[in-house]
Order: sequence, then C-alpha cells, then structure tokens
Amino acid sequence: MRFGRISQAVGVLAIATLALSACAGNTGSPSPTSGGAQEGGTIGVAETNGFSSFNSGTADGNSDVNGHIGYATHSNFLYIDDKLNIVKNEKFGKYEKLSDDPLTVKYTVNEGVKWSDGTQVSAADLLLTWASGSAYYDDSNAEKKTGTTYFLTAADTSGLNLTDFPEIGEDNRSITLKYSKPFADWELALGFAGNGGIDIPAHVVAQKAGLKDAQALVDLFKSVKRGDPAAPKPVNAQLKKVADFWSTGFDSKTLPSDPNLFLSNGPYIVKDVVAEQSLTLVRNKDYNWGPTPHADEIVVRTIGSAPAQVQALKNGEVDIINPQASADTVEQIKALDGVQLLQGKQLSYDHLDLNYSGPFADKDVRTAFMLTVPRKDIVDKIIKKIDPEATPLDSQIFVPAQAAYADSVKNNGSSEYQDVNVDKAKQLLAGKTPTIRIMYNKDNPNRVDAFSLIRESATKAGFKIVDGGLGKADWSAHLGDGSYDATIFGWINSGVGVTGTPQIFKTGGGSNFNGLSSPDADKLMDELIITTDKAKQDELQTKIDAAIWSTSYGLPLFQSPDVKAYSDQISGVTAMPNQTGVWWNVWDWARK
Amino acid sequence: MLSYVVRRLATAALILLGASFLVYLLTASSGDPLADLRASNAPNRQQLMDARSQLLDLDTPAPLRYFKWLGGAAQCLVPFAGTCDLGKSVTGQPITEALGIALVQTLTLVTGATVLAILIGITLGIVTALRQYSALDYGVTFMAFLFFSLPIFWVAVLLKEFGAIGFNNFLRNPVIPLPVSLGTGIVLGVVVAVAAGGEIKRRLISGGVVFALVTAVMVYFSATLWFKNPGLGPVVIGIAGVGMAFAVTTLVSGLKNRKALQASLIVAGLGVVSWFVIQPLLAQATGLMIFLLAIATVLVGVGVGYLMGGYDRGQSMRAAGITAFLVGGLVALDRFMQAWPTYFNNSRVRGRPIATIGAGTPNLQGDYWVLTIDTFTHLILPTVALILVSLASYTRFTRSSMLEIMNMDYIRTARAKGLSERSVIMGHAFRNALIPLATIVAFDIGALIGGAVITESVFSVHGMGFLFLDGITHIDPNPVMGVFLCVAVTAMVFNLIADLAYSALDPRVRIKA
Repeated sequence: MRFGRISQAVGVLAIATLALSACAGNTGSPSPTSGGAQEGGTIGVAETNGFSSFNSGTADGNSDVNGHIGYATHSNFLYIDDKLNIVKNEKFGKYEKLSDDPLTVKYTVNEGVKWSDGTQVSAADLLLTWASGSAYYDDSNAEKKTGTTYFLTAADTSGLNLTDFPEIGEDNRSITLKYSKPFADWELALGFAGNGGIDIPAHVVAQKAGLKDAQALVDLFKSVKRGDPAAPKPVNAQLKKVADFWSTGFDSKTLPSDPNLFLSNGPYIVKDVVAEQSLTLVRNKDYNWGPTPHADEIVVRTIGSAPAQVQALKNGEVDIINPQASADTVEQIKALDGVQLLQGKQLSYDHLDLNYSGPFADKDVRTAFMLTVPRKDIVDKIIKKIDPEATPLDSQIFVPAQAAYADSVKNNGSSEYQDVNVDKAKQLLAGKTPTIRIMYNKDNPNRVDAFSLIRESATKAGFKIVDGGLGKADWSAHLGDGSYDATIFGWINSGVGVTGTPQIFKTGGGSNFNGLSSPDADKLMDELIITTDKAKQDELQTKIDAAIWSTSYGLPLFQSPDVKAYSDQISGVTAMPNQTGVWWNVWDWARK
Repeated sequence: MLSYVVRRLATAALILLGASFLVYLLTASSGDPLADLRASNAPNRQQLMDARSQLLDLDTPAPLRYFKWLGGAAQCLVPFAGTCDLGKSVTGQPITEALGIALVQTLTLVTGATVLAILIGITLGIVTALRQYSALDYGVTFMAFLFFSLPIFWVAVLLKEFGAIGFNNFLRNPVIPLPVSLGTGIVLGVVVAVAAGGEIKRRLISGGVVFALVTAVMVYFSATLWFKNPGLGPVVIGIAGVGMAFAVTTLVSGLKNRKALQASLIVAGLGVVSWFVIQPLLAQATGLMIFLLAIATVLVGVGVGYLMGGYDRGQSMRAAGITAFLVGGLVALDRFMQAWPTYFNNSRVRGRPIATIGAGTPNLQGDYWVLTIDTFTHLILPTVALILVSLASYTRFTRSSMLEIMNMDYIRTARAKGLSERSVIMGHAFRNALIPLATIVAFDIGALIGGAVITESVFSVHGMGFLFLDGITHIDPNPVMGVFLCVAVTAMVFNLIADLAYSALDPRVRIKA
C-alpha cells in the first residue's frame, strides 16, 4: 500500500487528533448551553376530543372538552358538586329571589370580580349571557322558514325566554330578571361556568361587532324589541353582527393572537394551545372570587383512544385520564402501579320503553313483559365486568347520586320488578302470546346483549319476540314512529334541574316516544315546572316517579359506568357523574 | 410531450369531478347526521337539531349540496385570491384551516418513516437479491413478511409498552446486567455469522468479532451509565469516520481508486477537527444553520474530492461528498447526545424522554438541540411502527426487480468484458433496478398524504386520517371531501410525474403525444 504525501499528512493529523481527544473524552466536551424549562405543580389531564372553541355555549362549540376548559377559566354564581348539589359561590356574587309571584331574581356580581384584562365583570356581561340564552330576540319560525335566530346557543332557552328585558342595577353590576310565570330551574337560568354561564365578555363582543363599548351593546339590547315568530321583522343588522360574533367569533383551534378572545374570569387562564394536541392552563393571577386552585398549571392532552390514555398515564405523560369505559380499560388500569382507579356512574342510563299501543295497549301485557325482564342478569352480563358493584337502576327520574333516589325507589313500585317472575307474567297474559317487536341499536354490543337476555326470558312467558334491531345510523330516526312495540336505548339524566322530566314523560313531550299519557303525572309535571323550591320539587318528582311506574311504562336498566384514573402523585380528584366530570373541583387538584 | 401532459391533466380533472361527486353522495348518505340528537332527551332537542341542520345545510338535498360545495371549492383554483372555501366542519371550523393543521401533523409523522422505509427497504432488497437463497435472504424475507402481517395497532401498542414505558423505566438506572450484555452479544454474533456468507471460518470470525464488540460496548455503557450521559467524542467519530470513508469509497468508486479513498479519509479527518472547532457555533444552532452547515459540509467534501482529482475526478468528489455528509451527521449526533442530559432532566420531561402520544412535549422550552430531541423522542415510535409494516413491499419489490436485472444479457456482457463486480452492480444493475420503484414511490406519496389512520389514532396524532374518520363518523361530507381532494390531487399529480420520470429514466420508454 503506497499512500501519497497528503495521505501521510492526513494520517499524522488523524493520529494527533485521536491522541488529543483520548485525553478529552466526552467528559471534556464543551458543556452544552441548552436552556432548561421551569415549572411548579403541573398536572396533565387527558381529554378525548380536541379543543375547538372558547365559547362552549354555542351550538357548534358545546363539546365536552370546550366545556371543561370553559369551566376552568370562568366563574359563576354557583357550581355543581359531585353529589349533584348546587353550591353557591358568594365570593363571585350573589343571586336572590326577590319574590315568588311574579318570580323575580336579582343577580349581583361582587366588586373586584374581573376579566383577565382588568375589566370588572358587569351588568353588561350578565345581560349578554341573558340575551344569548333567552332567545328573546329570535323571531324565526322553523316551519315557515321566516325570521331570524340570532344567538346560536346550545342552552335550553325556554326558561330565560319567560323573562322580560332585565332591569339593570345602578351599580352596573347587577340585573334583575322578572319571569312571566314561575320557572322551576330558575337557579340554573344563567348556567354555570363553561355551560351557558357568564363566559363571554360583553366589552369584547361589543368591540368586535363594531360597537364603541359595553354600554353601546347594552343600549343596543335595550333598543330591540322581543322577537315574535308569528310576525317576523327584518333582520337587525347590528344585533346580527353581535350575535354572529358571539356564535362563531370565539371558535379557534389555536391560541388567537388577540388575547381578548380568551379572557378568563375564573381560576385559570389559557396560556397556549397546540391544535389537536394540547392546551395549557395557568393560574389567573387576579382570581380570588372562588375556591383557590392549588396547581400552577394544567396541561390538557388530546388522546382519543382509551388504551392510548392508559399508556400515557403509565408513562407519566398525563396524571388524570377519563377514557371510554370498558372492561379492558378497567383491567389495564388495575394492572398499573401507582394509579388510583375511580369508578363511578354516568348520568346516562339504558332503559326499556314499552309503547302504549299495539300489543302493549293492554296494561297487563306491559306488566307481564316487565316481569320477564331479567334486569339483574343484564347488569351482571354488561356492567359487572366493568363495575362489580353495579345494580339495576330503580327510578325513572332519579339516579342514586341524587339524595331523593333512595326515598323514591322505596315507594315507586320498582320492588315488584327486582326479579324475573315468569309465573306471574303467564298469569297476567292468561294464555295470550303477543308478538313483540323490539327496536334497538344493533351496532351497540350492550344493547344487543340486553335484547338477547330479554328475548330469552320473555319467550319463556309466552311472548313472541321479533328482533327489530337497526344499524347505528338508522335506529334513532324510527323512535316514536310506531314501527316497533318496545325499544332499548339510552337517556341522559340532567342531574340538576327538573325541566328534563316533562320532555320525556309529559303527554306530547318532545322525547316522549312511547306515547305515555298519564293525567296524574301530567298534572304533577305542570306543577313541577313552576315549583321553585328544591324540597318541593323532589317531593313532586317522587310522586311522578311512582305515577309513571304505576302505568307499567317500561324499565330503567342500568346507569352507564364511568371510569377515571389518576396518578397517586395527584390528590383531590373525585368521580363526578355529570358532563363537567373530574373538572368540577379543578381547584382541589394538587401534586403531592 | 406538452399535449400529452395537457391531455393527462384534463382527464385527471374529469376523474376528480366524477369521483368527488360520488364520494360526496356516499358520505352524505352513509347515515343520519342527526342520529344522536334524535334519541336525545334534552329539553332543547328541537333547537339543537335545527341548529345542526342549518350548519350542515341538511335541508338542501345532497346532490345539490355537492354543487354548492363545488362552487366554493372551485374558488381554490384561483391562485392567491384567498377565496378558497371548502365549507365548515360540524364544529364550525373551516375545512381549509383543519386541512392545514392535519397536513402538517400527518407529514411530520409519515415523511421520515416513508423515506427511511424506502432507504432501508431498497438496501435490504438489493442485498438479499445479491445473496439470493442465502440464510440472510430467508431471514430478511421472513422478518419482512412477519412485520408485514402484524396488525399495526398491535405493533404500536407493544412498541409503546417496551420502547417507551419499559425504556423510560430502564433509564432511571441504566445498568445493563452482564447476562443481558452477553446474551445480546451472542444473539447479534450469531445473526452476523449466519448473514455474513462465505466460508465457515470467515463467518466464525465475523460472528466472534461482533459478539466481542457488542458485549464490550454494552458493558461499557452500563459501567459508565452511558444512557444517562451519552456521547461519541472525537475518538469514536474518528474511528467511525475512517470506516465510513472506506465503506463509501468501496461503493462509489472501489478501493482501487486511491485518490477517492484519500479524499474520503481527508474528509473524515477534517470532520474530527471540525468537532473541536465547531462546538461554540453549534451552541447557537438553529434549523437553518444546521441546514446550511450540512450543505457546506457536502461542498467541502466535494471540494476536497476535486482537489484530489485522480483519473476519475467525479468519483472522488462523490465519495468525499458522501463521506463528509455522513461524518457531519456523526458530529451532529454527538451534539444531540451532549444535549441529552439537559433534555432528560428537564422538569417537563420528568426523566421519561420517550413519549407515547402527540408530537411534542407541551410548553417545553430550550434551544434547538433540546427541541429537536423532543421531536425525535415523540416521532421515534410511530416511525419505527410504520417502517416495520411498510418495509416488506419495498424489500420484495427491489429484490425481484434486482434479480430480474441481474439475469439480463447486458449484465452478462458487462461481466464478460471484465468489469469488476462492484461496477456491474452499482453501475449497471442497481440504477436500472430502481426504475420500477418510481411507480411504487409515487403511489406511496399519495398514500402518505392520506395519512396512516390507525397509527394516528394509536399515537394520538390528529392528522388527515383522523380528519377523514371524524368526518365519516359525523356524516359530515366537508372534511371527508377536503381529505379526498388533497389525496386525489397528489395521487394524480404523482402518477403523472412517475410516468414522465419513466420516460426520462428509461430511454426505451417514449411518450408519444
């Protein structure tokens, strides 16, 4: 091998460097000057969906994650705790019932409660919340396709729609609502944080809609009359601009460059958003008008699939997860060290409804069918593998998390249907063999299991069961169309408030699909929706529950199980059945 | 040629129109967008249904809605007008914006994986073709098909369990027990001995060397807690650089071209020198700087090759250029390793660097090196998963194409006239074997934009696949159409490019207008 001079030089050079570097090693390498990050008390939370709007009260923005972020970044006169009680937050302000007839409620925000830009939360903000949640200005008529819907809210507008234009207090921090008739859920009329609450700053909406300030917005609201769907008026351009900005202006998957679009009046404020990946909340430094948060920072990670959430918890990337409940997920979580499993129940529940027509027009047939439904087996087969302590749900109106549940189930007649009683069912049928078509979502394995168990048991009593299962895209369109005799599907208990009851059970109610018409229950519900006292409401609902059971309506089956888990380096996390989920006490979360 | 392109584009536009109409109708009729609300017991059920009907314009029949959509989409053809309107999703987000976000996520996820899969796949394909029916060939074929047939969600979950969670646990105290070191050494030694080929003695020697080397390195790593404080240092860079110089020269020009070898060695030496010189500069690194440095490195290599000259100056330049790039890569790798402890101990990372989800640690702050490491630690698992499952097609494709070429007459001629095996393979066979790959690569780029739905969902990356799936589940045609447009246009354009490239690559193919 003959190398030229250059190569020899290279060789010498190489040997020299090697010799030099051998002494240097890697320890002698120049120390890196990488900058480090600083933090204190960060908690990671997994969310299934990606964040999409800073106004979770709109029709397109009301997803679970938007609601959770809205909850952590806003305050209200009240919040709902994990026992489904309304807890007043007097540090934010107070609301008081001035009179029962007409129902008059005065809301006052405390002085010093501020948006994160330093603006006092004022009557204008309350007024905007009222305007967006009352449909006061709407004059649209869906059938004739006339008129305008201004604010595209996700909230139920039926309550606030009963009010006149609010009276604004002289301190400019209060409004008084006067209802034309009593409204049972008046306490929830202004929603709660992240759910139709005082989430949107009026001064920002005013500015963005081309108005001078919040006062100009109040003047605009004052100047427009109540809309009447029977006599629609031309669109009010300025109001439309305001409403449009309210409806869509806060939609954003990333952090807007204009900080006015994500003002906070709650414990936390959004610091950063990475589209479809993560969202970071930090303390709102001015906040002292509610429970004080412990953690400095909360990082929300978007993780869609349940196994991915569990693995992220295991790898320490998040500290709190709320995956879709399944037996696999529970097993995976149980196998983890240093992780607490929280098992609870959601507010959604599966139920079997019998039509009050066709073969089921006869009450005895309905009763007989109900006697054959193996509710305990259904719970055993579907829910026990997730939650070993699950039991059948025994009330049409309450869930066990509500205080009134225990009393109600004692007397509502559900005790008759604890166990299958084929003999009694046969007796009631007296030799008849009615053909029953049961409709359900056959793409939902739980419903298929429930159907199979019911079919097996009902056949023993002499029922002929027809499988009316439909695909997931089709079944719901058939609800209430009479193409079936019984159906198995899910509903969501509202947890707090009573206006959901007539929606399902009143004659002609919007979700009364099986044609229940009980004069007794109707009368009680008429009274219920104008009863403003909580104890009285519970009493009425208990009576309604019993009245419904006595008509052999069908059976509630079980509540959907809820699975959450958190790292044992975190404290303060509790199960919560409603849509706020673990976030309800975000201020209690702390890193140990 | 021009008229051919125009004709192709015109057909493509027609196909696009027809296909988009079909996809729109199929999506719109795939279900009932109001299904969940119909079963709702919310007191404002009707109000919510009205709102959604209005948002999705459900009162207009789907075929008419398509033309409304087309009207908006047609504006995308006007360049720079900013009037592109692909509608809004069910959450009210403009599709153009959603596509922007999803494209970035998908491309970060799949680009690296695809490029690596192509490089590794082609290499393995060539090697197995040259050693047809050897133990190596069977081994690679077996592994490729094994990974090809594994469901990716399972591979991905296993990778997360062991590659992320297990490895992070290991990093807490990175001590490798001696039996593990020995075992790994034995396994790798046996693999190399089997794969090496040649006579028994040669196999035993290569296997033994690999065994000794691997075991020694692992014991060293364990003893020095190398994984906590990794680094190469100039010694390793120097040794590896010399090795690379030889390897690259062998492939590019053959070791007989002394000038090329010398140029490569000089460049390797320069690389070690530069390691000392460049550290202060690297401390201020930005992405652009690294890019420029990479170009400069290659230029220096080419320059050295030019100065060395030789009877084939081009070969020297190529060999030195490639060596320079590789050694430069080592220097960068060493710098990444220097930044590793900073990253590892960062309070955001909490000593668990390999991530199972997402594309980055939220709120991480640091210099270029720390942030880039963060991207790597997030991308490594999905990339490995995607490479494993897509390796098979490239390997098999290249192998069969290479085998076919190796049996051609002109290869026999080349051998007969006395060319070295290296120039037969590298100069005559390899290039021609790559021509059919143009098709498969062009196809894969279309698939690349379409996203990797399952991988995306396992690793929580909200890319194109997610957007598509989300649109389907909500019976919302707009996001589906957005994804469809992107994928279809890319697929068609790249198909056209593949056809044109064919005629450029293979003189036997001529495009006649």
